[in-house]
Order: sequence, then structure tokens, then C-alpha cells
Amino acid sequence: MSEFKIIEIKRSIFEDNDQDAEQLRQELKSSQTFLLNLMSSPGSGKTTTLMRTIEALHNEIKIGIMEADIDSAVDAVTIASTGTKVIQLHTGGMCHLDADMTRQGILEMGVEDVELAILENVGNLVCPAEFDTGAVKNAMILSVPEGDDKPLKYPLMFSICDVLLINKVDVLPYFDFDLEKCKEYVKKINSNIQIIPISSKTGEGMDKWFDWLREQVVNWNQF
Amino acid sequence: MHEITLLVQLVKMVEREAKANSLANNIDSIVVQVGQLSEIVPKYLTDYYSNVVDGTLLSGSKLMIETIPGNGLCHHCEKVFRIVKHKGKCPICQADDWEMLSGQEFILKEIRIRED
Repeated sequence: MSEFKIIEIKRSIFEDNDQDAEQLRQELKSSQTFLLNLMSSPGSGKTTTLMRTIEALHNEIKIGIMEADIDSAVDAVTIASTGTKVIQLHTGGMCHLDADMTRQGILEMGVEDVELAILENVGNLVCPAEFDTGAVKNAMILSVPEGDDKPLKYPLMFSICDVLLINKVDVLPYFDFDLEKCKEYVKKINSNIQIIPISSKTGEGMDKWFDWLREQVVNWNQF
Repeated sequence: MHEITLLVQLVKMVEREAKANSLANNIDSIVVQVGQLSEIVPKYLTDYYSNVVDGTLLSGSKLMIETIPGNGLCHHCEKVFRIVKHKGKCPICQADDWEMLSGQEFILKEIRIRED
């Protein structure tokens, strides 16, 4: 029977990506670029929300968008129609983005002239939550048709976000979605999260979201 | 799904440690710790392990998995309880106001070297 020598490591496998993400945040500080990681299920309204955001803020803040999808350039084409700087990242089957992939996107897009960069992550409530992309803040969208119990089913995603946009409130009358119960579920997992009900279709509630973004960009450049 | 990505990261980590510790190709096994609430499926780690490590310095080695329980600290009575076993409710005072102390980890605990 062979003898074993044990080498103790006791380090998280995510540590490498965590360090890389921290490094990226420092680089973004130097270029004075606030990077937001935007996550959700497919079809919740990320791109429509971004279109509204661009419309509201493009005259005040220089915006750059990175679209991440498994395939196609559908979202990038939509955003490009606004004249905003946009690039499309293809993950090649990967279900999430990590700090290294985000940095590649940042380099490809060029952020010297970008004050607000938004990464529209792959539509998925599971994997993106596990990997720090190097973004300054995380935001997610949950839409009314998806159901008010998603915070119970996908706790990690809700726990790592700074902002939750509850989208499609214009269709609340047609679904059994208890807005107050949903907010309660979320606050239990993440007491610091800011919850903003919106409709990216009608524009309802979105001023609060635009103000939050304005505040983040100012704060990032100040401190 | 992303268990393969995690295994690839794990191999990179071991390669770096091997370089730092001047280890030769005599790794018998590695021990990882997976949090009960990490959403990582231990069975998939085991199933894909030999494929991912094939051709690397971990080729032929074994993967051993320890589970770290999901522990919650009740904000009401300040007792620690097992989150999964008690379905997210404190078994002492029945409150569901708690914070997670452990359970989301994915840690490389140790590398075991054969010393023949």
C-alpha cells in the first residue's frame, strides 16, 4: 500500500475568475467606464429594456452595449439601429460569461469613450449567477409571465444582484402574479436589492431605473 | 452543463499548484468540497472527470468529493440549522428569517501525491 503525501490547498475554484474580475474592475476604473451585467431568462425583455434605456440616456451618457448569445446577431442588430456602439459576443455553446470573456468583449468594443457599458448576458437564470464577469453592478429582469415564485427556484441569481427589474407589469391583470409576494421572496434572499417594477413596452416605472443608472455612473467616476 | 467548465478550471488550478510545488506526474487523487446549495451536481463532476483530465497531469487520478452542508443562522433565535433538511425554516423557532453561513462553495481541498 503506497504512502500519500497530502498537499493542502483549500482555495475556491472560482478564485481565479474572482481575481480576474477584480483586475477588470480596476481597469474599468482607469477608463472611467461603469460596467453593468444584465441577466435574466430568455424573453424577459432585456433588449427592449436596453432600447428604452438608450433612448432615455444617450444624449447625457456615452453608452456601449455588449450582446452575448450562443449564436446569431439578432440583438446586436436591434441595438445598432439606435446608432449606439454595440458588439456581439458568441459564446460558442457556453451557458455563461466569465471575466476573461468579458474582457475580450471590452477590448473589442473599446471603452475609452464609453461611460456606461452594459453586458447583456446569456438568457439563463442558473449559470451566469456563478461567475463574476468583472462588472461593477449586477442587474436582472424577471418578467410577470414567468411567475412570482422564481426567487424561490433560483435563489443564487436573485442573491447576487443589486437591482431587480420586474418587467411587463402592463400584463399583470392577465397573470396570477402576486407582486408583493414576489418582492417578499426576493427581500428574504437579498435584503439590499433594489426592486423596480417596469414595463419596457409602455415605459411605466422606468424613470427610477434611468435615475439609478445615472447615479451609478456618477458615483463610479467620483470615487 | 457547466460542471465541465468547472472541471477545466480545476485542472488549471492543479497545474498551477503542481508548478509551484514542483510536483511530478504522480497525483493519486484530489479532494474537492462542494456546497450543498451550490447548484453543482456531484454526479456530473464524477461522470465527466476522467474525460476532462485525460492528457493532463491528473490523467488516471481519482476525484473525491466532500459535501459542505448548507447552514443557516436564524436571525430570530440565533441558532444554526441545516437549510435543506429543514426546508429553509428554523427548526427551533419556525422563523424563516435567516442568512446562509455555508453551502455555496466549490473548493479544491487537497492534492494527494503517491509516494512510492
